[in-house]
Amino acid sequence: MSFYYKIAGLNVKIESFGRTLEQAKPYLSEGDVSPDIVVRSKYEKVRDNYPYLSDEDVEYLASGGAFYRELLKFDGFMLHSSAVVVDGLAYLFTANSGTGKSTHTALWLKQFGEHAYILNDDKPALRRIDGIWYAFGTPWSGKYDISVNTGVPLAGIAVLERDVNNQIEPYSGKDAVLDILRQANRPKAMEYRIKLMELLDQLIREVPIWKLRCNMEQEAAFVAYQAMSGGLKKGE
Amino acid sequence: MLKLKEGFILREVAGETVVIPSGDELDLNMMITLNETGRFLWERIAQGIEETDLVTALLAEYEVDEATAKAAVARFAAQLRDKGFLI
Repeated sequence: MSFYYKIAGLNVKIESFGRTLEQAKPYLSEGDVSPDIVVRSKYEKVRDNYPYLSDEDVEYLASGGAFYRELLKFDGFMLHSSAVVVDGLAYLFTANSGTGKSTHTALWLKQFGEHAYILNDDKPALRRIDGIWYAFGTPWSGKYDISVNTGVPLAGIAVLERDVNNQIEPYSGKDAVLDILRQANRPKAMEYRIKLMELLDQLIREVPIWKLRCNMEQEAAFVAYQAMSGGLKKGE
Repeated sequence: MLKLKEGFILREVAGETVVIPSGDELDLNMMITLNETGRFLWERIAQGIEETDLVTALLAEYEVDEATAKAAVARFAAQLRDKGFLI
């Protein structure tokens, strides 16, 4: 079965089944306009790589991989992160799985109540449109399927690390570049990887990057918000 | 002869020299950054160069003595070999 969607501001045709189509429902679009991106079902080709997953979970991973790869052609990529929106700006927290990205953004929801929501809990799309970086909800949003179909200007990205106390500081240099690169989607073909490097170069110049060391107390959200809500662009 | 395998991409990202692999042959998780000297050596090894010629090139570009240059080239080549980057 294939349907038409609007995802990250692009017209997308997805041929799939099961969980992929279920999570994509909020992104359905009206007409069958000529698609920017076509995602074809391909779980049969890759399921041998994931013997422990069901067919529909394999399809979910493969369809997400295909979408995010093609997104690179439209000045966008995926950053493995939890994206929380407060008062119309998106704050992203990136780290390896199991570090506590979602745990941290849950503290933001508690802190800000109805001013806040989760845009995408696992794999937001980032796109640069007319010189501004946006984070987007997508159907590929993690096991709990928490996403909202909208795009929000990006206020900042924090690389998250567990610590006893809460502290945040601007993050730059080679470690910052590699930490962001490690959490981005990296299709193996050279042309896509070159495009990713060009986008990362722009992103890191234009969006504040932070290193957040935090625990799981409510204070962590307060400390992070205080620093990250300072402004949209570097130097302001 | 020192020569890199095919498929590496070297790019400036936010002022840092980053090297990442691509394609089907390389270990795709091997991502590194290079300092200025590292980049100088890397770009010559990408083309393919004899180790003695690389020492000569380094001596011509930087103010170092021959023993230091030889050691630097040998160390860098060993690191690349350990990571499986060389043909």
